[in-house]
Amino acid sequence: MPARNSPLRYGSVAQFLHWSVVLLLAAQVTLGKVADGLPLGLERLVMMSRHKSLGITILGIAVLRLAWRAFDAPPALPPMPRWQSLAARFTHWGLYALLFALPLSGWLMSSSANRPVSWWGLLQLPDFVAPDAGLKEVFEEVHELLVNVLFAFVALHVAAALKHQFLDRDGLLLRMLPGRQP
Amino acid sequence: MLRALLVALAVSPAALAGALQADQSSGRLEFSATQADAKFNGAFKRFRVALEFDPAHPDQGRLDVTVDVASIDTQDPERDEILRGPDFFWAEKYPQAVYHAGRFERAGAGWRAPGELTIRGVKKPVPVTFTIAPAAATGPATMKGSAGLGRLAFGLGQGEWASTEWIGDAVEVRFELKLQPAG
Repeated sequence: MPARNSPLRYGSVAQFLHWSVVLLLAAQVTLGKVADGLPLGLERLVMMSRHKSLGITILGIAVLRLAWRAFDAPPALPPMPRWQSLAARFTHWGLYALLFALPLSGWLMSSSANRPVSWWGLLQLPDFVAPDAGLKEVFEEVHELLVNVLFAFVALHVAAALKHQFLDRDGLLLRMLPGRQP
Repeated sequence: MLRALLVALAVSPAALAGALQADQSSGRLEFSATQADAKFNGAFKRFRVALEFDPAHPDQGRLDVTVDVASIDTQDPERDEILRGPDFFWAEKYPQAVYHAGRFERAGAGWRAPGELTIRGVKKPVPVTFTIAPAAATGPATMKGSAGLGRLAFGLGQGEWASTEWIGDAVEVRFELKLQPAG
């Protein structure tokens, strides 16, 4: 499989970035929900700390994905009604936006709670806001709201991919899978 | 010679007579600690400082600090609750942390107080380094200083909190005070 995208399918780099985000995002949402359900204590601290490190990792991959996308144009959408191609664009850019907005809101939430973020113990991130209890509440609400928006966008994205693959039978899903050519 | 001795005898007690004082309204007592590999800052919002210091007689004098540990403020109510609780300061049982030094030493351009800090009933030597201006402080003076300590030596962090993997042992304390003559 070539590294770069072809007019018909995604290359290995774009596929690797896409599926890494899928796996890490699943782990990240689980980690966040589990940590949030724990009582105050060391275990919660540890889980939240890993949640933050993983979130910053996903933010980094999101930057790489956008950079790669700018360098290597994705394959064109298969023929479809205009409303569907518009919906596809909206969903894709919405997902990209969430890959930035979720970690950033979490980062701001941490800073405003005076719990600065360390990336896997290797690097302490700067704080863009000073500690502020009121602001922390706002970022917390935003962070939780965005998770639900993410669920909605992921559901839309998956449903559309499955519809193309199994109802329209246009081979769309195979473009993002290694192996045989569509 | 005799005159010099008399002057010294006369001056020395006089210089020590006027203690300088400060509290939270005229100063800041802050600290930095590490949580999950990230450094954060906190402060104590209620404390009292008394200083008797004469640079001509550094072997005499005193630095006394009393801190109301329940006034700890890390701008995180959840963390403050844990810090006030029995696993850390245990403010209910040990409401005050106390520092006492009975003499001073030259330390570079500033001074060093080889004193002892008591937290949770545990007393350990903790040297404090500071600068004070004006140095011959019988009137208002500005004092700035710092000290480093290990939290575990004082039992700050019991049970699971004793792990230094997620809560660092080292704590850096900083203060800046505007001292005023007592009374």
